[in-house]
Amino acid sequence: MNISFDPWVWLSALLTIFIFSFLYRDNIFYRFAEHLFVGVSLGYLIALTWHNSMYPNLIIPLFKQGKIIYVIPLAFGLCYFARFIPKISYLIRFPIAFVIGWGSGVTIPAYFQRDILKQTQGTLLVSNTFSRWDSGLWAIVILVGVITTLIYFFFSRERKGIIKHASNIGIIFIMLGFGASFGYTVMARISLLIGRMQFLLGDWLGIIK
Amino acid sequence: MNIFELLTKIPRQIIFLVIAFAIAIPLIVPIGIPVNVMPKSRKLFQTIDSLGPDSKPVLISCDFDPQSMPELYPMLLAILRHCYARNTKVILMTLWAPGTGMVEMAFNELSKEFKKTYGHDYVFLGFKVGAAAVALGMGENIKAVFPTDYYGTPIDSLLMMTNIKNYKDISQVITLSAGDPGWRTWLLYAQSRYGVKLGVGVTAVSAADVYPYIDTDQVTGLLAGMKGASEYEVMVQKSGYSNKKRIATQGMDAQSLGHLMIMLFIVLGNIGYFLTRRRK
Repeated sequence: MNISFDPWVWLSALLTIFIFSFLYRDNIFYRFAEHLFVGVSLGYLIALTWHNSMYPNLIIPLFKQGKIIYVIPLAFGLCYFARFIPKISYLIRFPIAFVIGWGSGVTIPAYFQRDILKQTQGTLLVSNTFSRWDSGLWAIVILVGVITTLIYFFFSRERKGIIKHASNIGIIFIMLGFGASFGYTVMARISLLIGRMQFLLGDWLGIIK
Repeated sequence: MNIFELLTKIPRQIIFLVIAFAIAIPLIVPIGIPVNVMPKSRKLFQTIDSLGPDSKPVLISCDFDPQSMPELYPMLLAILRHCYARNTKVILMTLWAPGTGMVEMAFNELSKEFKKTYGHDYVFLGFKVGAAAVALGMGENIKAVFPTDYYGTPIDSLLMMTNIKNYKDISQVITLSAGDPGWRTWLLYAQSRYGVKLGVGVTAVSAADVYPYIDTDQVTGLLAGMKGASEYEVMVQKSGYSNKKRIATQGMDAQSLGHLMIMLFIVLGNIGYFLTRRRK
């Protein structure tokens, strides 16, 4: 056992224990650590945004290099603060309209490319798919899964006959998907606990190397 | 209250305690369960392994914060070790503000192991807000999005960056992502629009969502959670690139035992539930 003498390690360890104390019940130590975390995170974000974004991308070009065009994004950004002055609060609509317009224009075609075109291509059965028996089998399973899941979410016809059977198969695929996601979620949460245990037992108490 | 009812009402504090022991004991006394490397992890390793000193640089985006460290930080270390050992140049950046701390920590940790020069072998661009605009802007001109690096040095003055304009000058983008912005952002704007080769390392929570993009080759490889990190660590070690402590692999025994305990509790709870119902 080789306990750390680094005060920062001790502070980290205590804050970890404060947060873990919530597992027993809510308490003042947990709330202290929680509030400290929120405050520090926000302060860190503001400082970093200023130094990494505002200063090199706006202040230097506008005020040091004299690029007047940068007045436009500055004015758009300032419009967000109009919210605090009732008389001119309507100005906030300009940057919001710009962001929504730009965002939709850029995102919709990209989504279409990423999730519709490429994914549909990936679902299609082509001769190459059957070059190996296992890839062919999985391709068929994926095709059946996609079609039956889509039928499950097809609400324009009453569920009877073939649609009922297909949507029941679709439910199985959906449940398998949920199961995989949940299994991975459990794995993720255990990993986080392992990370903290490695810190407490290793960096702090020096029990593990 | 009979034994079956008791099984359905185990106090949560007891469950937490049992899980804590199940995690702590294998960390103190390792069992040494072997790590199986999955094809999706091997694919990413092979992509990086095919690069060398003359290749275009690898861009690693560390889109995570300290909360996801146990899963994604070992991935960052293992991938950096791999790139450094192959003398492949690396550009690092982050779409998450706290990610800057993670990158600097990795630099400090690896500086004793590899003698690499900042600006010649690796560069840290830092953090920038507006993930979509960043990913899109870098497709046109990286220097316009990042006129300076994280330390305020003009990008043009860094030797490694002189011939790098946009994604065409990058061999592989790897995102280590804990959520949004992250792998979805890179896939949507950098891969779909500019066709970059994208490798993904994610927390286990997001892993199932990435699978559909592997079959379609939109993603070149996937590291899923701590398991993915340990697989990469094993491949880096077996290839002789590094022999240092493997954080994720060390945690895999605990991971397995923790899962066993959870399965046990699920089975016990169900046995208790069904037998109680039958008695009524």
